[in-house]
Amino acid sequence: MFGYLIRRLLIMIPTLIAISAIVFVIIQLPPGDYLSSYVAELQSQGETVSADKIAFLREQYGFDKPMSEQYALWVIGMLQGDFGYSFEFSLPVSEVVGDRLWLTFIVSFSTILFTWAVSFPIGVYSATHQYSFGDYGLTFLGFLGLATPNFLLALVLLYVANSWFGTSFGGLMDPEFIEQGWSWAKAMSVLEHLWVPVVVIGTSGTAGMIRRLRANLLDELQKQYVVTGRAKGLPPVRLLLKYPLRMALNPFIADIGNLLPQVISGAAIVSVVLSLPTTGPMLLDALRSQDMYLAGSFLMFLAALTVVGVFLSDMALAVLDPRIRFEAGGR
Amino acid sequence: MIGARGLCAALIAAFLAQATGAAALTLVETPSLSARVAAGKLPPVMQRAPREPLVVEDTGGRGWKPGRHGGALTILMRRSKDVRMMVVYGYARLVGFTPDYQLAPDLLRAIDIEEGRRFTLHLRKGHRWSDGHPFTAEDFRYYWEDVANNVKLAPIGPPRIMMAGGGSPVFEILDETTVRYTWPKPNPDFVPALAGPRPLYIYRPAHYLKRFHIRYGDKEKLRRKGKKSGRRSWAALHNKRDNQYKNDNPRLPTLQPWVVRNRPPTQRFVFARNPYYHRVDRNGRQLPYADEVVMNIAGAQIIPGKTGAGESDLQARYLNFSDYTFLKKDEKKNGYKVRLWRTAKGAHFTLFPNMNVKDPVWRKLFRDARFRRALSLAVNRHEINQVVYFGLALEGNNTVLPKSPLYRPEYTRKWAAFDLKRANALLDELGLTKRNSRGVRLLPDGRPMEIVVETSGEDTEQTDVLELIGDSWLAAGIKIFTRPSQREVFRNRIFAGETLMSVWSGIENALPNADISPRELAPTSQQQLQWPKWGQHFETRTKVGEAPALPAVRELLTLYQSWRTTPERAKRKVIWRRMLEIHADNVFTIGVVAGVPQPVVASTRLRNVPEKGVYNWSPGAHFGIYRPDGFWFAGANTRKNR
Repeated sequence: MFGYLIRRLLIMIPTLIAISAIVFVIIQLPPGDYLSSYVAELQSQGETVSADKIAFLREQYGFDKPMSEQYALWVIGMLQGDFGYSFEFSLPVSEVVGDRLWLTFIVSFSTILFTWAVSFPIGVYSATHQYSFGDYGLTFLGFLGLATPNFLLALVLLYVANSWFGTSFGGLMDPEFIEQGWSWAKAMSVLEHLWVPVVVIGTSGTAGMIRRLRANLLDELQKQYVVTGRAKGLPPVRLLLKYPLRMALNPFIADIGNLLPQVISGAAIVSVVLSLPTTGPMLLDALRSQDMYLAGSFLMFLAALTVVGVFLSDMALAVLDPRIRFEAGGR
Repeated sequence: MIGARGLCAALIAAFLAQATGAAALTLVETPSLSARVAAGKLPPVMQRAPREPLVVEDTGGRGWKPGRHGGALTILMRRSKDVRMMVVYGYARLVGFTPDYQLAPDLLRAIDIEEGRRFTLHLRKGHRWSDGHPFTAEDFRYYWEDVANNVKLAPIGPPRIMMAGGGSPVFEILDETTVRYTWPKPNPDFVPALAGPRPLYIYRPAHYLKRFHIRYGDKEKLRRKGKKSGRRSWAALHNKRDNQYKNDNPRLPTLQPWVVRNRPPTQRFVFARNPYYHRVDRNGRQLPYADEVVMNIAGAQIIPGKTGAGESDLQARYLNFSDYTFLKKDEKKNGYKVRLWRTAKGAHFTLFPNMNVKDPVWRKLFRDARFRRALSLAVNRHEINQVVYFGLALEGNNTVLPKSPLYRPEYTRKWAAFDLKRANALLDELGLTKRNSRGVRLLPDGRPMEIVVETSGEDTEQTDVLELIGDSWLAAGIKIFTRPSQREVFRNRIFAGETLMSVWSGIENALPNADISPRELAPTSQQQLQWPKWGQHFETRTKVGEAPALPAVRELLTLYQSWRTTPERAKRKVIWRRMLEIHADNVFTIGVVAGVPQPVVASTRLRNVPEKGVYNWSPGAHFGIYRPDGFWFAGANTRKNR
């Protein structure tokens, strides 16, 4: 087990290095960098205003240096906690993100809870009542959720929330609470707005989760130990919860790896449509405006979280399911 | 008509009206400020407003009524950078346009113009910046001597408009509230530039900025400060603090009606009233009426939705004509009213072939008038009008509108009728006869004729129109792809010559008379997307960019320069007509439709918002010329979600 842990940890290092190289190259690929065009625009306005700033930035980030050296500077900066400078906001990247991170966490964790709370009972019910009317009905609903374009559902729900409940349109709270400290009223306002993104982002994930749980549980239900348990007279619910369900939980655990980056990128398109103050729209904007350090740091952060997430879920799986541990050890 | 007709007469008349009105007026304290006045933190209103305030009267019979103080005006914007829109809407200018497009002194008490080259500016006595410091001739001197002519702060020198006839003006301070600029030759662009939506700022809050200036500030401290804020020199720090237009520094004193209070990153900007504002109504109430402006940042996609839910008190930006029916539906329920304002642009949708593109093959083609004519002939404007604009738009070139006295039908129609046969014939004539298997013509070097048309990505309507244009161009053997981008990137790519073709709106002021400068028709600015480098060449006094390579474009520049030195209206008219003819014949830009109305949403509680208006950037400053400082709230606020 310890050897497995060490090996998994060591593998993360080359993975992250490879990802950082790819991210850097991709961001540099589009023609024209932000600075050179920025200089041209400023010159045209006769305000060489920030020409000094440009020179300063050029030097600080080494735009005049070869790409390999630029890459090294960027990576070293990141290791020291300097994520670069956002051109769009004229602020260091770390200052730009600010409050958004917390709101993204709130939205994403609520979404995960919603997904689990809905898909867990439905998945179990579908598997134990395979091909019943209820199975078909719930599966149909799940697929409906999967098939409806998120942005459309988002707009419809926004309209409903606004015209039936009088919730302000979009955002995560009533505008008067923005920039205010946390209070009871603000928390209530957030809750009032939260359900729309949670339902929208959640519905698409729910269907997938239901199907995976159902399939895994069905596999297990056919196995001999279940038949044995049943023959020995274990009550059906206890039997289900104690043995096959535990085995079928693997997809939930394996999903943690994907959940962490989701927490940060936060379903970008839905967030853009709903105008949520989360990190997703910011990442999209940064990519569109070639704000390379903001975008690069974001992508790097996402990659790191994915790697850590996969590591954590592998660990949890190894703890939970001895088979995984043994297979890894035997390699 | 939009014009500077009778400029001097109007200026003098306005001056007289104010001089008589101001004498007897007793000012009333603003309720929201009275607590601070009572506590001694703020002087009383009689000492705050200038001794010679501007008394606002109904101009042009629009039913302007004096109102009352109070309330917060909520508006919606898309990005943090849009804080600058409050400088546009606030529209406190040295000289501003009235709703009838006459120039009138605003921050200035009066302006005297002699021979079109000597400008004497009279400030208001007792006028103060938003922090209470007097606004005087020193602020003008500081700008001219220590900013515009400082090599570190402005390496290229003063702005182009300040250099009429090749020379810089002689600047004189006559007394504390009077300054004079004298050029060797007439400078007709000077006063309109002061009144622009993005005005020419010839003054600075000297008392605030001096601490950042090496000549006045503590050198050692400045050096340390510069380093600490991550900037290399004092000049960069000074320029960072000094953005009167960008409006991103809450500490920078201003003369605008509202002062920004917080800085990005945030989703909600708050602007507080300027307690030293120079405009008052005839009942002695100091403007602005609204105590606050609240600017909420939201995605462009949901701004129409939010507006429809009544979450904006005054909105036009980010609303499209296509939102009109949706907005109209919830009008009563959500307590607002939608108006349709006219627009004054030469074209609502215009294609700009980039004649400064880096690709030599395309550059040669774009510079050939026959090619541009063929492109224009292959656009089915009627279909676009019917499909996208309910047939309400005006089909034709990017040129002046029919209401302008300079209008002639051929300017709109030449090379603008849908004629695929002729378009194909022109393209064949250019030697572009080879086609690939899909029927797309081949360039001389064998590449297929595929044009990537870039948009600023703010508007899906543009993509729809491009889809229709793509169909008919394909019939002429040209394939287009659409690439939505982001405004800054979009512009920068064009400036750099990366972009083949772009979409934007047409000329800004399409209702000119002969006295309005025809600079938009000549290569005078980098922002002219069909020839950014030629425009930049002129703009930077030939330091950057390229000289125009086409004889027709050079003629436009010569005509523009002769317009500047020609005072007679009849001769100016001849010059204008010639420039419009050159444009119509050469199709430098491919206009598609014009005259698309702009929906304007205003709360039913908000008074003094005109029913009929013109929504235009320059001149107009969007709401600016209708003076939002005079908009006021009637009745109590009953709506939720403010």
